[in-house]
Amino acid sequence: MTLSDVRAGPSPIAATPIDGPPTGSSALVKLPLAGAAVATKTTRHRSLGKGSQRLIGVVLLLGLWELASLAGWIRPQELAAPTAVVSAGAHLVATGALQSALWASLQRVFWGLAIGVPLGAVLALLAGISRSGENLIDANVQMLRFVPIIGLESLFVLWLGVGETAKISMISLGVMFPIYINTFAAVRSIDPRYHELADVIGLGRWQRIRRIVLPATLPGFLIGLRMAMAVAWLLLVFAEQINASSGLGYLIVEAQTYFQSNVIVVCLACYAVLGLLTDVLVRTLERVLLPWVPGR
Amino acid sequence: MMIQATVVAPDVAVVAHGLRRTFGRREVLRGVDLEIRRGEFVALLGRSGSGKSTILRALAGLDRGATGDVFVPQRRAVVYQDSRLLPWARVLENVVLGLDGPDAAADGRNALREVGLTGHERDWPKTLSGGEAQRVALARALVRHPGLLLLDEPFGALDALTRIRMHALVQQLCQRHDPAVLLVTHDVDEAILLADRVLVLTDGRLSLDVPVLVERPRRIGDVAFSALRSRLLSELGVADSSDAPPVHPRQEYLT
Repeated sequence: MTLSDVRAGPSPIAATPIDGPPTGSSALVKLPLAGAAVATKTTRHRSLGKGSQRLIGVVLLLGLWELASLAGWIRPQELAAPTAVVSAGAHLVATGALQSALWASLQRVFWGLAIGVPLGAVLALLAGISRSGENLIDANVQMLRFVPIIGLESLFVLWLGVGETAKISMISLGVMFPIYINTFAAVRSIDPRYHELADVIGLGRWQRIRRIVLPATLPGFLIGLRMAMAVAWLLLVFAEQINASSGLGYLIVEAQTYFQSNVIVVCLACYAVLGLLTDVLVRTLERVLLPWVPGR
Repeated sequence: MMIQATVVAPDVAVVAHGLRRTFGRREVLRGVDLEIRRGEFVALLGRSGSGKSTILRALAGLDRGATGDVFVPQRRAVVYQDSRLLPWARVLENVVLGLDGPDAAADGRNALREVGLTGHERDWPKTLSGGEAQRVALARALVRHPGLLLLDEPFGALDALTRIRMHALVQQLCQRHDPAVLLVTHDVDEAILLADRVLVLTDGRLSLDVPVLVERPRRIGDVAFSALRSRLLSELGVADSSDAPPVHPRQEYLT
């Protein structure tokens, strides 16, 4: 039934106005459902209000910060005013310093993920699918995951020097754990009824992996990927601040030496934006790769 | 337990001899002897926990812990109470799961047409109703041309109206494809409506084995129907309180 049918019909629900006077306990009220003229209007109002309210909140904070800087409550060497940050950003872009730093950092994160993610996923699948794989791999991974990755920095430098390899290796290793743990858990929590179905149907080993194990594991893997991205940025900042001659972290250390708080804030803002972008990336991946999951 | 693919006799689809199964110290099956002819529709009744599904799993070849001699056809298919469709595979992919060869997709489409789901090939299982999902599961079973079709309470989770439609569909499909069928159910009426023969499992043994001589189309409430119903219910340890017209709405089943 369409809504116009309801309105046209002699239904008592349609006959009762929404904000009409109460006529006793037996009075019917019209539910403000979507599609009704009144309801649409209020919904649009609310969503617009939510968006702009959030924006107003951010603008308000920035404004207070600017005012506090102008009034001299915050000194520029402690925290630069928003306008100073923007002009510092513009200057860094104009000289090309920001771009080259970003590029260096992005490359490290990219290679760290490109090595660590497949490694973690393959190890998790091997450990998840075969008993001997689990015995060989899982104990080692579970032991290593409690070693703080940052503590391994010294060893990496000892082995690999202060070049790119040490930084990328540390990011790869750090990224591997969330991928491994989430993927392994996903393989192990596959509904045994699907395995029974595979037995009845007579699926071979490879078909079983392709048709059941991999797709069933994908949601868990993507959760791991989201965590891995966060870990990658974290380790990047750390690695670049310890020893580097390029990248966002290096820019921060340099700015710290010269008391340029505006440059530090620019770099931090870059990290925030990059983190946000990777999150959007994983969300998009989830939407594309998990079309069967309802509500996406 | 060894499942052997040797043909025992030309018109026999299933032979089980001395089928036993214990879980821990509990003896669930204490020597079940069972024979199903080709194309025969057998219903297996029993109280919940009586081991009905254990027999079905043994015949499906899923239970390595059972003992006894079991002979079944090479091609077997199971339809469960839950449709057990893979949520990440579209309907057609679910139907032809594990089949390869150039005709797989065409066979799958045919099977979907037979269960009345043409046009749903590219749907995701989560968008289907319970009845539709069960019909996909039925198509997935039939597309394999099973010599033995094992139905493990396949109508148990459906609403009453959908169940009536599914009964008719299963009858029609079984007539066309003519597999041997073992239907595990706790619904006496369903057993009488569909089966050629009804078995009752009590205390780990088949305590009753009766042919259903009610003429088709079968109607709940017919004299022969009611008589068999009372007998089966008393075998199951339930008093049949319906000498008066049955509480069910009068249903007609067209075959």
